[in-house]
Amino acid sequence: MDEAASVHHEFPILGRAYFLGGRASTSMKRALREANVDESTIRRVSVSCYEAEMNVVLHARSGYVVVDIYSDRVEIRVADQGPGIEDIELAMTPGWSSAPEEARALGFGAGMGLPNIKGQADEMGIESTQGEGVRLHLVFMREGVSDE
Amino acid sequence: MTTHRHSSSIRRNRANSTSKKERSGLTLGEAVDILKAEDVVPADDPGTCLTGCFAADLMSDVLAFARQDSLLVTGLTTDQTVRTAAIMHLAAVVIVEGKRTASEMVEAAREELIPIYRTPLSKYEACGLLLQAGLRPYRRGVPSPQQHR
Repeated sequence: MDEAASVHHEFPILGRAYFLGGRASTSMKRALREANVDESTIRRVSVSCYEAEMNVVLHARSGYVVVDIYSDRVEIRVADQGPGIEDIELAMTPGWSSAPEEARALGFGAGMGLPNIKGQADEMGIESTQGEGVRLHLVFMREGVSDE
Repeated sequence: MTTHRHSSSIRRNRANSTSKKERSGLTLGEAVDILKAEDVVPADDPGTCLTGCFAADLMSDVLAFARQDSLLVTGLTTDQTVRTAAIMHLAAVVIVEGKRTASEMVEAAREELIPIYRTPLSKYEACGLLLQAGLRPYRRGVPSPQQHR
C-alpha cells in the first residue's frame, strides 16, 4: 500500500457559524475533483464530510477536517473541541438526536448524521472525550482513478 | 409569470451530464413551466434532462437517498439547501410555497453553480404535478428510469 498521500488539505470549521455550515465540505469536494478522484468516491466522501461538518457546527466550538488522498483510498479526519458524545452507541442509532432546535431549521438534527456516515464509509473510527471533543476517522476505498 | 431577477445564469460544468438513455422525459425548463416557477438563479441550460425528483426539507434525507442530476423540491431556504445540492450533484432546487430566499442563499447558489426556482405551489402539489407529467421518483433503492421501461 502506498503510504505517501498525494494530496493533503485541511479546512477549519467554526462552531455555531450556521451560515457557513457546508463550506468546508464543498471546498473539499472541489479538492477531490482537482485530484481526479472518481465521482462515486467523491460523493461518498463529500456526503460523510458534510454530515460530520454539520455535527461540528451544531455541537462544538470549533474543529477542522483533514483529507488525505492516496492512490487507493481517501482518508478523512474530523476533530472538534466541544462537549463530546455522551453515548456513542446511542448516537449511532438512526433517529436519535441531541441536536439543538437550530439544527432542524437548517435541515439537520434528525439523528441521521452518524448513521449516514457509517453507510458511506468503508471504515469508520470514532473517539470521544467528555468535555474535550470528538475525533472521527473515515476511510473510503477508491473505486477507480478518473480518466479526466 | 417568469421574472428574471438576476442577470447571471448558471452554467453547469459537469463531466457526466445526463445521457438521453437516463432521462426521465422532462427537462428542467419543462418542470419549471409545470410548477409555474419563477427564476431565482436561473440555469444557463433549461434543456438539461432531469433524471428524476426528490422532495425533502431534511437535508440528511437528501444526503442519504437522493441521486445525482435529479430535481430537489424543498421548503428549506438556507445555504445548506444549496450546499447539499452541490454535494449531491443535483440539477436544480425548487423552493415551494413562494418562500423568499435570503441573499446569502442566492450567493451560495451562484458560488456552487446550483440553479434555484420558486413556485407558489405547496410541496404536495408540486410533487403531484411533476409525477403526473412523468418525472419519476429517483432515489436509492428505486430502479433508475430506464429500468422502468
